[in-house]
Amino acid sequence: MNVWLLGSAVLLFGLVPCGIASFRGETMERLVGLEMAGMIITLLLVMLAEGMGRVNFYDLALALALLAFGGGLVFARFLERWL
Amino acid sequence: MTAATTAVEVLVWMAVATCLICCLGIVVMKDLYERLHYMAPVSTVAAVALLAAVVIEQGWGQAAIKMSLIVVVLFLMNAVLTHATARAARVRELGHWQPAPDEKIEGLDQIGRGRHHR
Repeated sequence: MNVWLLGSAVLLFGLVPCGIASFRGETMERLVGLEMAGMIITLLLVMLAEGMGRVNFYDLALALALLAFGGGLVFARFLERWL
Repeated sequence: MTAATTAVEVLVWMAVATCLICCLGIVVMKDLYERLHYMAPVSTVAAVALLAAVVIEQGWGQAAIKMSLIVVVLFLMNAVLTHATARAARVRELGHWQPAPDEKIEGLDQIGRGRHHR
């Protein structure tokens, strides 16, 4: 158990407030919770990859960062007028 | 425990603490526009701290290069997403995002008011 794995376990608790934000409030406020969760999980995957010593796992974090970006933009665009 | 190990631990815990505090801010703040601010430290402070920790631990190798790519993506993503979300919220609220003629916004006279309401 190194500092990276320990830190990623603690970082998991950061998802609880994001979940709370996503489950209540009005629609746009929920979107902020989702975007925040995307960033937190990206950093979480980085810490897991470093903690397990697998450089290849960094690709997961990179893919998630790009997809969360696209997903957030699409959500913002559609919530603007149509949903 | 060497200096490098200590530095890595400090940087990792700094990133984790930043993320946790910002997550709390997302819940505590009352308004969408206030909540959006709390995405910024995660994508700047926490990401750069993790990049520094990776570089200290492994040097400039494959991991550090991938990590810097992630930091760049997060940095740009935060800026674009914050703008897009705030704009979408305003359009949802008002039907357009330009300032109203009588709206008082600081510094707006220097850049001029947009006239085209979509």
